Order: sequence, then C-alpha cells, then structure tokens
Amino acid sequence: MTSRELIVVTGKGGVGKSAVSAALGRILASTGRQTLILEIDPRENVHQMLAAPPSDGEVVRVAANLYLQHLQPRTVLDQLVRERVRIDFLTKRVLESPVYHHFTEGAPGLRELAVLGHSLLLVQGRVPGAPAIDVVIVDAPATGHGVALLRAPRLVSEVIRQGPVASLTEEVAELVASPQRCGVVVVTLAEEMPVTEALELRADLESAVQRQPDLLVANGLYPPVPVGAAEATEEEGARRLWYRRRELNDVELERLASRWSGPRVEVPLFPLDRGPALVSEIERSLAS
Amino acid sequence: MTERAWPPLIIVVGAGGVGKTTLAAALGLLSAEQGEETLVMTFDPSLRLKDSLGVGDEAKDEEVEVTSHLWASLLDAKQTFDRLVARYAPDEKARDRILHNRYYEHLAGGLAGILEYMAVERLFEVSKSGRFQRVILDTPPTRQALDFLEAPSRIVGFLDSGALRLALRPWFDADGKLRPTARLGRLGRRFESYLDEVVGLDLLRQMVEFFQAFAPLFDGFRERAREVESLLRSSRTLFVLVAGPGEEKIPDALFFARRLRETGYTLGPIVVNRMHPPVEDLQPQSDPAEDEVDGLALFQWLGERDARGFEELGQLVGEDHPLVGLPLLENEPSNLETLQQLARQFGERVQEF
Repeated sequence: MTSRELIVVTGKGGVGKSAVSAALGRILASTGRQTLILEIDPRENVHQMLAAPPSDGEVVRVAANLYLQHLQPRTVLDQLVRERVRIDFLTKRVLESPVYHHFTEGAPGLRELAVLGHSLLLVQGRVPGAPAIDVVIVDAPATGHGVALLRAPRLVSEVIRQGPVASLTEEVAELVASPQRCGVVVVTLAEEMPVTEALELRADLESAVQRQPDLLVANGLYPPVPVGAAEATEEEGARRLWYRRRELNDVELERLASRWSGPRVEVPLFPLDRGPALVSEIERSLAS
Repeated sequence: MTERAWPPLIIVVGAGGVGKTTLAAALGLLSAEQGEETLVMTFDPSLRLKDSLGVGDEAKDEEVEVTSHLWASLLDAKQTFDRLVARYAPDEKARDRILHNRYYEHLAGGLAGILEYMAVERLFEVSKSGRFQRVILDTPPTRQALDFLEAPSRIVGFLDSGALRLALRPWFDADGKLRPTARLGRLGRRFESYLDEVVGLDLLRQMVEFFQAFAPLFDGFRERAREVESLLRSSRTLFVLVAGPGEEKIPDALFFARRLRETGYTLGPIVVNRMHPPVEDLQPQSDPAEDEVDGLALFQWLGERDARGFEELGQLVGEDHPLVGLPLLENEPSNLETLQQLARQFGERVQEF
C-alpha cells in the first residue's frame, strides 16, 4: 500500500468510509509521502475528521504531508473545457449550453472519469497551482458501488475514441489496471447485508476490471464477548444486545474469512463522535 | 393503524445503509396482515429485498407472491426502459433503431436521471393496473435519494430543452462532416476541431442518431412523465423517511425532510431506525472483567448518543411531526419472522399516518 499512486476507498453509505480514508491518509502521510484525500460526496465531511477547514474545492493542507480536496466532478469537466477552448465567449457558451450540461450529466462514466483523471494529473504534477502529490486517496461516493468509478475508463473509451479525453482515459485505464499503482480498499460493517454487498463488489471488480481489492476493513465491530461471560438474561437488555450483536458480527467475520482472500483488518466500534480522536483510534487499528 | 389511514402509495426514502429496504418490507407485511393486497417494490442493484423476502431474480419480470396478500418485485431500469421504448415506438423499425443504437445501452443507464425515472415509471404502471390496494416503493440507495423525485420533471425538461432541438437538427452532412460549422468560417472550424478533440465526433454522431431515433417517442414519454409527476405529488402518496441513529445522522434526515416538504410532497412519519436502547443494567456481574466494564460503557455511550440524536431531530422537525424511534434488534431482520418483529415494533409506535 505504501508505493501506490491512487487508493480508492469504497463501500456503501454509513460504513465509515470517510473516517477510514482520513486514517489511511494520516498513515501514508506519516511515511513521508505527500498524500491528498480527494472527497467526492456532495456534502463535505472529511475535513471534520481531520479538524481542518472545509476545502471548498481547493487543495487544503491539513497536516505535515497531508492535503485534502473536496471536489465536484463537474468542476473538473468545466476546467477541461476552459483549457481546451481558450476563447472566453465560446467557453461561456459551451459551459452554459444545455447540450453540454446534459452531456456531462448523462454521458456514462464521464464524471467518474473526471475524478480519476484529476487524481492522475495531481500525482503527475499536472494540476496548476497544486502541491507535489505522491498519492491520492479517493473517498469514493456512496452512490452505488466503487466499481462504477473503476469501470469508468473502459466505458468512456468505448464512446470517446480520440482527442485529449480519449488519451486521458487511456492513461487512467492503465493506472487503474495496475495493482502496483492503484489500490482498492473496501470498507464494510460486519453485518449480513453489507458483507453480502462487499462480496458482490469484489466479484464485480474482478469481472469489470480484473482487479482484486487490496484490503478489506471490517468496521464498527461490537466488542468481543468477554471470555467466560455468563449468558445474558432477558433482564440484562444491554448486555444481551451486545452479546447478540457481536455474535452476528462473528458470523459475518467468519463468512468473510472463508470467502475473502487477501488482507482483512478489523476495526472496533469506539465510543467517540466523528472527529480526529476517532480517526486516531482507527489509524491505530489499521496500522496494527 | 387503521385501515383508512393507510395511503395507497408509500414511498420509503432515506440515506443509504439505514435499513430502508428492510423497513419497506416490514411495512409491506403490516399492510398485508390487514388483508390488503400489497406490493413491495425495490429498486436496488444489489437486490436486497431478495434476501429479506426470499424472492429471486424472477421478481424482476413480474410480481412474486411472498406470503398471503404480500407481493414483491425487483426493479430493473434497463428492462423497464426497453419496455417503454417498445410501447411508444410507432413501429418496429423505430423500436429496433433505438434498441440497436450503440449508445443506447450506455445512455439508457445514465441520461438525465433515466435510471431513477424508471423507478417511478414502473410504480405508475403498477398502481394504474389496480391489481394492488397498496404499493410500497423502496428507493435507490443514494445519498441524493431524492433525485428520483425530480426525474420526471428532469425528463420533461430535457425533452423540452434546447438540447433536444439542437440534437435533432441535421448536424452532419452525408460525409459525416459537421454542417453548421461550415457557415461559421474559421471559428466554426475551430469549434469543430475542439469538439473532435474533446469528445470525438464519433460520439456526437452516435448521440445525434440516438436522439433522432428517439424523437417519435417523445410525445408519449412526455405525457407519461407528467402523469407520474402528479402521482408523486398526490396527497394520497405518502413518504416515509428513514434515518440512522445518532447525532451525526441528523443532517441527512433534515436534508431529506426539508426537501420533501419544500417541494410539496406529503411527508409522513420520520423513522429513526436501529437506535441503541438506553442502558439500565450497568451493574456488571460479580467480579467484572475489564472487557465487561468497557463493553457496557460503550453501550451506555451509544444509547445516550442515539437518544440525544432522536431528541434533537424531534426539535428540528417540529414537535407535532410524527417521529418514530425503532430499536436496534437482537437479530438483523432477514427473514419473514424477524421482519414481523420489526413490523410489530413499527405498528405499536405509529397509530396512523
């Protein structure tokens, strides 16, 4: 994980993807790599995890070697038009045209491609005004599967076959296809539905881009049932719920163990609200 | 919950991972228990209702009976879209021209919220058929789950927008060269080469062809989109908002509640799902291990966090708005029995909509 240029953190909403992205960012930054966390979700929240001001589209330095950028895919596309057209009134007309609007909203994979393309340009030092970046961590949108993101280059290359978008697409496809350069981290809860979906995601990744995830993070685990603890009685509501939910966790962890080859890490549930203290705890769990 | 108080259409919305699908299924069970023919529809690529209700891929084609009075179906956007095309195409030739367009498959999934639109389209189809007394729709698991509400008006907007008129113009001449640019002289050539460079003229040709093939369908499509829109806004269509527990989930819930109210949809009960109950039995067993103390402290913290979130949300949405807290269950509802447990919990807390 320490030499990758791009790490895509994926998982469905509410599994703690942003906290894991932030913790990964801190770990990579601590190895001296210039790390940027790229957040795509329409509402910003990674900055809260790192006690930083909101990025507002800009690259913000949050700590030594660690940067954050919150981005709307649209912005990247608009920027591309500005660079290519270079005639003010024409640029304006293109950007305001409903054709452009519907095209960029609707064209399959284009927004996802923009995110990956931007990441690639960042690590290659091709984004004007941005600091030198060694690795970009993409906190993938909760919408659907991260597979859509990784499949995008292939999809776009099917419909756009020439010009700068096509060549960027090709570069991105190469990056995504390379296990040495691009890592995939799947975050899940150890519950039935999320685990089922994580396993589906793994299968989709395999069939769509012939890639396997590098790491599975089983997040938010209830504490293990203490050794030798007596069965919780009907009256002991909390204890009963705790033991029972942990048993459910264990069933799912076992399912993962039998069906998920490759590194897995378990992160417990902490009595902490989202914020830097929580990120530190997750960082410790990930590092071990 | 009296029979009369249940509207014929219930749409379950909320952020991803809060248990929407499960709750939709539980509502379906409740409704079916009243003897109403009830259909639960889910629109979800991971097909989770399948797990909860024990229905398989066959539910993609038609409604599948789950238990007495309860039916389930899985929405498949591409399939619904194909059906629509077949219905509105004036003849077979027009239909095939669309279905075989190289761009169709991609466009069908992505264009202007068509995917989301298909959910409401299918809903409309089913509710028109009169086969069911109640339909419960689970919605796509996205943070912007309300996008699908706007899908009909976005489709109409798109059909009426200049984009379409532009696309329908004869852009390309017989040689596949862009036509209007010739009239624009140097600037036109520049524009053409820009287009070619950035997106590739081949893509544009495909798109234009797609729209031209699609044109005969627009009128039927537009009218349908309007009907769907008014169905969603009907006072007999109720939205049940599901939220996760804890303070940090409040912004999500508020966001949905505000959008629904502002845009004139009928917002029913807000359900805060999977709340950790308050901890009363803090007395550990005799000679407690350190783990035991830590574990119970965590549950105490979770219980307090969730209660705080519930209270804050209640104040923010207004005290007279129905707010329902559902506890985290010992078993994740994944079969009919455990769904019934959840259904009962809900039924006890909501007397009427």
